[in-house]
Amino acid sequence: MPIALGLEGSANKLGVGIIFHPPSTPPSPHDSAHSDDEVPKSQSKPSASSQVQILCNLRHTFVSPPGTGFLPKDTAAHHRRWVVRLVKQAIKQSKIQIEDIDCICFTQGPGMGAPLSAVAIAARMLSQLWDKPLVGVNHCVGHIEMGRTITGADNPVVLYVSGGNTQVIAYSAQRYRIFGEALDIAVGNCLDRFARVINISNDPAPGYNIEQLAKKGGDVLLDLPYAVKGMDVSFSGILARAEEMARRLHAGRKGEQDLWKEGDKVIGEEDLCFTLQETLYAMLVEITERAMAHVGARQVLIVGGVGCNERLQQMMGMMAADRGGSVFATDERFCIDNGIMIAHAGLLQHSMGFRTKLEESSCTQRFRTDEVLINWRD
Amino acid sequence: MEVITLPHLEQHPLSVCLFRNVQNAAFLRQQLLQANHDFEYAFLDASVLLSRTHVLAACFRAITDVLHARLKSHNVHSEIVFALSPNNNIADSFRRFGISDQSTNILAIKVGGDASQIEAHLMQHVQGTPVLFTDATLQTMRDPARIRKIYRVDVASKEAEAFILGTMALKGS
Amino acid sequence: MSPDSGTPYLPAPFTTSPTPLTLITRGAEAALYKTTFLTPHQPCALKIRPPKPWRHPTLDARLTRQRILAEARALVKCGREGVRVPQVLGMSWEEGWVALEWIAGRTVKDVIWGWRAEGAEKGDAWLRGLLGKVGRAVGLLHSIGVVHGDLTSSNMIVEEQGSTAGEGEIVLIDFGLATQAVQEEDRAVDLYVLERAFGSTHPREEALFGVVLEAYAGSYKGAKATLKRLEDVRMRGRKKSMIG
Repeated sequence: MPIALGLEGSANKLGVGIIFHPPSTPPSPHDSAHSDDEVPKSQSKPSASSQVQILCNLRHTFVSPPGTGFLPKDTAAHHRRWVVRLVKQAIKQSKIQIEDIDCICFTQGPGMGAPLSAVAIAARMLSQLWDKPLVGVNHCVGHIEMGRTITGADNPVVLYVSGGNTQVIAYSAQRYRIFGEALDIAVGNCLDRFARVINISNDPAPGYNIEQLAKKGGDVLLDLPYAVKGMDVSFSGILARAEEMARRLHAGRKGEQDLWKEGDKVIGEEDLCFTLQETLYAMLVEITERAMAHVGARQVLIVGGVGCNERLQQMMGMMAADRGGSVFATDERFCIDNGIMIAHAGLLQHSMGFRTKLEESSCTQRFRTDEVLINWRD
Repeated sequence: MEVITLPHLEQHPLSVCLFRNVQNAAFLRQQLLQANHDFEYAFLDASVLLSRTHVLAACFRAITDVLHARLKSHNVHSEIVFALSPNNNIADSFRRFGISDQSTNILAIKVGGDASQIEAHLMQHVQGTPVLFTDATLQTMRDPARIRKIYRVDVASKEAEAFILGTMALKGS
Repeated sequence: MSPDSGTPYLPAPFTTSPTPLTLITRGAEAALYKTTFLTPHQPCALKIRPPKPWRHPTLDARLTRQRILAEARALVKCGREGVRVPQVLGMSWEEGWVALEWIAGRTVKDVIWGWRAEGAEKGDAWLRGLLGKVGRAVGLLHSIGVVHGDLTSSNMIVEEQGSTAGEGEIVLIDFGLATQAVQEEDRAVDLYVLERAFGSTHPREEALFGVVLEAYAGSYKGAKATLKRLEDVRMRGRKKSMIG
């Protein structure tokens, strides 16, 4: 009975998930929040897209105080502190026996070194303890495969946006190829760092709080740089300018300089958040559209933590509809880092005979999406 | 006289007549200055015209600017003269592309109207020889030095037309 | 526009015109129509940038204007300096269209795909010849201080010459992200964008990309320095922290 335990800890979320791939079930209608008439009903390799059963999907997040980011050392300590508790709870909740598990899957990269290693140690330990094979999983591939399965998007262009990654990806010849990416910092990092500058809470996530503030803005769009180069983007210039704006705002409030006004409107954090979101997401939609035009695709799948953003989903949806296609996105259970996606992608790899030997199980902070052989797809 | 229909502007046919050896440029210019409604034409000095395409590009720009209500001068005919200019100075564009009292080779353009009436009117009032409006004829009339001075491009080069059209298109940006 | 996505956006005067407009491609930025312009005998590529309703209207208008102008300015400059690009016949940045000279031919992407589909029977040497032309075309562009901003094998046309398809000169198109820059860094990023796009579009021919760079190296005085800089850009791209 193909069951995998997945461990994720590449950033500040510790995730433990257990998945079950029912053996050779015929493709069944998937439970998707979006409908798409274009998805071919016959799927070539059912293991990748047919119904899977999520036995449990647990997560515990390390939240740092406002104005600070999560440091690798503290994050690793958090993961070490929680991993055993989470695994125990996962087994219990799944109502499975240890012997039912086929493999221990873990995030091998990319991500922050210390937290990755902390979780990898846990994975090795479980593998030795229970005598189960290890399967090292690329974090990005985990997101993509989970997204495809949950949404039923068959062959989408994938926008992977998180605190550490900004990539536009399309599948070709058994690889997820990166068509475009951020040339400097990731979009989520840009949002996180801006949240620190305006001192808003990291709970539940800085991006979420920016989104809520942005909803109160909308009267004015301030002028931020817009940096698209081909299918690549650059965010550091935008962050620098947004930080400058935040300083101007604060200086105006403290009376160190004139209060910042545009016309009669006094500029506030909400306008900065609104402007930042509108600019960043327009760039992301643009490079995604470029990739769609380039490869002739009509579906878009958004994965990664920033993919939860409703405004991004809305903009992407309008773009995709305009191209006669549709957008697929998952809710926070799957777009935010989680263990189930690692279990899922790992079990697909396992089904193709892939194993990670103990001596090859070290983590790597830089593990490109296109390094993984996607041999479960045609 | 020739009636030219620009693709995409079929509702705005152009009546175009090129005259050689015009004797009464001063009179024609006077009619324009007096805003005589019988003389609503674009009168261009052919010595600064590179090619048919050059002229037609100006006409296209002028007509579309009328359609979008963004005239810089007072009507479509003055706008054709203005559209030829590489810069935004209206007086300058008339000095360079409009007729002077000394002009002898003149291109008359009218947007819309009844072609046969226009032709009769032009034949009656322009004292010159109508000739075919072709690149070959224009070539015999043009003054490369003046064109070079206006657009800063060598008229003989094969890139000249592309550069001039591009410059006109970018004007006002 | 894809057939099932409703009425295509056309600005005046093209809305009411009886002159046929044939949709050629619908790229990310613009729809490209083949039509005639100024005379019924002048074939033209009419590039229309429809408004993007998902973008904030202020941002949308700003980007449309910027890109139409960037494109036209770069094309006019290229034309003047003798780099073969489509000629600008007319435009309107308010309505978002530009009328360009029609270039007959196939994109480099299609030519390479065709070469592969024919079982590469024309041989590697033939493909190397084509890639050499690509390198020289990009080099010539950079030599006059223009950076394309979106170099891909789809943005290059092998101009038709007589009946021998794929043998003509390379004409660069789609200058919407072009800048007039003299910085080595900008040129290097331009090459990096091409390198990556080439790799993802033509994975089986990726190993031959070096031919493009070799030809580029010999194409103008600063080319070698740009290629040196390209190595830095590559390192940054690959080694850059994936954690932000």
